Amino acid sequence: MSEKLPLGLALDLRNVTPYKTGSWRTQKPLNIMQTPPCTHGCPARNDIRGFLRTLAVSKDYEEAWHILTRTNPLPATCGRVCPHPCEEGCNRRDFDTPLDINSAERSIGDFGIENRLEHKKVITSERKEKVAIVGSGPAGLSCAFHLAKKGYKVKIFEAEGTPGGMMRWGIPAYRLPKNVLGREIESILKLGIELECNIKVGINIPMDQLMREYDAVFLGLGAQKGSSLNIPGDDARNVFSGVEFLKAVHSGRKIDIGREVVVVGGGNTAMDCARVAKRLGGNVSVVYRRTRVEMPAITAEIDEALEERIMFRYNTNPVKIVTDENRVIGILCMQMVLKEADASGRGRPVPIPGSESVIPADTVIIAAGQAVDYEGIDVYKRDNKWIDVNSQRMTSMDRVFAGGDAVLGLETVSAAIGQGMHAAYAIEDFIKNQTQNHLASPPVVYSKDLNTYYYQAANRFNKESVPVHIRLKSFEEIYPSFDRNDIITEAARCLSCGLCFQCNNCLMYCPDNAVKISPSTGMYEFDYDFCKGCGLCARECPCHYIKMTLER
Amino acid sequence: MIDNLDTVEKKDLFASGHRACGGCGQALAARMVADAAGENTIACVATGCLEVFSSPYPDPSWRIPFLHSLFENAAAVAAGVEVAYKALNKGPVNIIAQGGDGSTSDIGFQCMSGMFERGHNVLYVCYDNEAYMNTGVQRSGSTPFGTRTTTTPGGNKRLKKNIPLLAADHGIPYVATATVDDYRDLQRKVKTALSIEGPKYLHILAPCPLGWGHAGDITVQICRLAKQTCIFPVFEIREGKMISVHKVPVKKPVEEYLKLQGRFRNLFKKGTPTADVAAIQKIADGNIERFNL
Repeated sequence: MSEKLPLGLALDLRNVTPYKTGSWRTQKPLNIMQTPPCTHGCPARNDIRGFLRTLAVSKDYEEAWHILTRTNPLPATCGRVCPHPCEEGCNRRDFDTPLDINSAERSIGDFGIENRLEHKKVITSERKEKVAIVGSGPAGLSCAFHLAKKGYKVKIFEAEGTPGGMMRWGIPAYRLPKNVLGREIESILKLGIELECNIKVGINIPMDQLMREYDAVFLGLGAQKGSSLNIPGDDARNVFSGVEFLKAVHSGRKIDIGREVVVVGGGNTAMDCARVAKRLGGNVSVVYRRTRVEMPAITAEIDEALEERIMFRYNTNPVKIVTDENRVIGILCMQMVLKEADASGRGRPVPIPGSESVIPADTVIIAAGQAVDYEGIDVYKRDNKWIDVNSQRMTSMDRVFAGGDAVLGLETVSAAIGQGMHAAYAIEDFIKNQTQNHLASPPVVYSKDLNTYYYQAANRFNKESVPVHIRLKSFEEIYPSFDRNDIITEAARCLSCGLCFQCNNCLMYCPDNAVKISPSTGMYEFDYDFCKGCGLCARECPCHYIKMTLER
Repeated sequence: MIDNLDTVEKKDLFASGHRACGGCGQALAARMVADAAGENTIACVATGCLEVFSSPYPDPSWRIPFLHSLFENAAAVAAGVEVAYKALNKGPVNIIAQGGDGSTSDIGFQCMSGMFERGHNVLYVCYDNEAYMNTGVQRSGSTPFGTRTTTTPGGNKRLKKNIPLLAADHGIPYVATATVDDYRDLQRKVKTALSIEGPKYLHILAPCPLGWGHAGDITVQICRLAKQTCIFPVFEIREGKMISVHKVPVKKPVEEYLKLQGRFRNLFKKGTPTADVAAIQKIADGNIERFNL
């Protein structure tokens, strides 16, 4: 203050600290990363927003692959077969059309396969604990993958000659080419996972031995046994169960299906059987006792089956398989009518008297339900059907965990992957003797929370399928690979729900100049010395990243 | 999706610590104008809210030279600054006279008109919050029809004075209107104006949460609705010709704009609009026709 001040000034303005208007505040804005609805809907809890934004901003497929494979070891597989519950939740649904997340996932997965990308371990140091995985389906592979990334010694026991479980024996090649699956399994095994094929746990190696030799066991048994309908004539030749039929076709056995094929059931296995039989030259009809609305199969699968000229007979229930010299000649059906809802929430089918008719058939495929093959594994079962697990994913046997179809009932690949991942976390917690809630996540952003004024309408990516007449001639994949730039354009449609994408609104709309760009992270931060808590930033934030909370 | 930082100006020339209410539209607009004009700028501000909340000694918010004038003579002071710079052979410098709607449309109108007429190289910015907010919400010449103020408790019976078109009729080279919801448009207009030699006029709709009776967080939303309901036309006039108009492809009924604000509460009897709402809709329809919105 030794300097002489200009005339009339009593204080040097340079030494004055500004008046802290932050003390006026009753509400406080906070930057909070929230859960987007896509991740919330994904059973494998993939960071969908993360990989889409990476594609859109840096166009970096490799980084996107690493983000995706943090949770999902089989992106190219899921990108083909997943019924994408993520898209159901997509907030763009209320704005224009949801994003094609499934195609983006497939494109990223294919990039990983083409460029032979390798998974990174989370913990590089080895751990001495050993975990046995029974079954190499999606649940088993996912559990093994997540444990191996954390440094555990993992060994998979597979009953068949090749790994993959239902992804190999159930899903036909026109949906999932076998080399895609093979390459993805290969890169999972590269994490140092041991695989022993042709070993059926419970028969070739007793459960007790596994429990003695390993610190934990994961059962990813799957539902490999087709259930029978228990109707007269179902033991005839040319009556197959769905899984039996698919497995026979996929292992290369020649099956004479004749001309007329009738598939019983409305699930995914039924759709697969019908479409495979169509490709083998059959004249296929699907018999289902309820209507299309109640069908448990994936909607796209039903649509594609309809496109492929497969006949659907709804409200039709088989009563008897008509045989001649132990060969099928037809299937006697009754028409049904749906009455009040049963325990599953769907209408209860009741037969209409006198509505019997015979559908001619050379082959009958019964794809109405599957069950777990428990031979040699004595575990407590729910409804005497599915494995019962507690909240820590442990079965009635100590140190034995379970997941996948054997626990859930018939579910999707992504559900099994999610189960495997959560079981891996549970096994880790169990081995380390800790409790951690891996499911905890911030609240979900719904479209009512968004300020959609700032988004522009854009058309959804349109995937082109091979024409039906060409499709039916072979088991080639029905969707050829996508243009990577188209996928980047599609990814740019992501609204980035619940995560800042630096649109500048909070920075520009603050009347108090209290939003600053952090020099260290480049993200926006609030200057609480001056923020008056008006809430303009939160109101104008397009993606609901800013939340107003009461000031304490 | 949305442009990056390159397209917006943020220089912190109007700093934090001012005493405006939370969500103040005028503080927002003043900051956007100052940041767009840049460091080489002199602000001459008339008496009003802006002057009161931003310039108390010893911590003013302005990081550019700032002159406080009387209520009526901001334009005259700015003209004087411009002439002084010319006389001293200094410059070039951006000179911005700023005032509220009261000082622009009523008290300071003749000073502004004189400045336009004499052809000074000054940008006049009017922050329009549609009443004398600083002194306690009294009606001004810019208060729209139907508005409740402390001096028109039953609703204003007069029409809003159209200052931008009055300014344009002075034959000045550049007249524009803007709102605080579109900061890119606002900052572009400030920069365009400053690049033109001669008197310029910019009219900015700046909501006052206190006087308009709405929450501070919807200031931007109100401005957006003012545009979408065609109550406030956003346009640009260059050399007497309309060169750009903010088109409104989907026009909303004026109720949506009116219902959010306490100052229009008397226009609704138990939630149902009165005849005055229809009159306001007519004004908006007139704007659509006149400005081809």
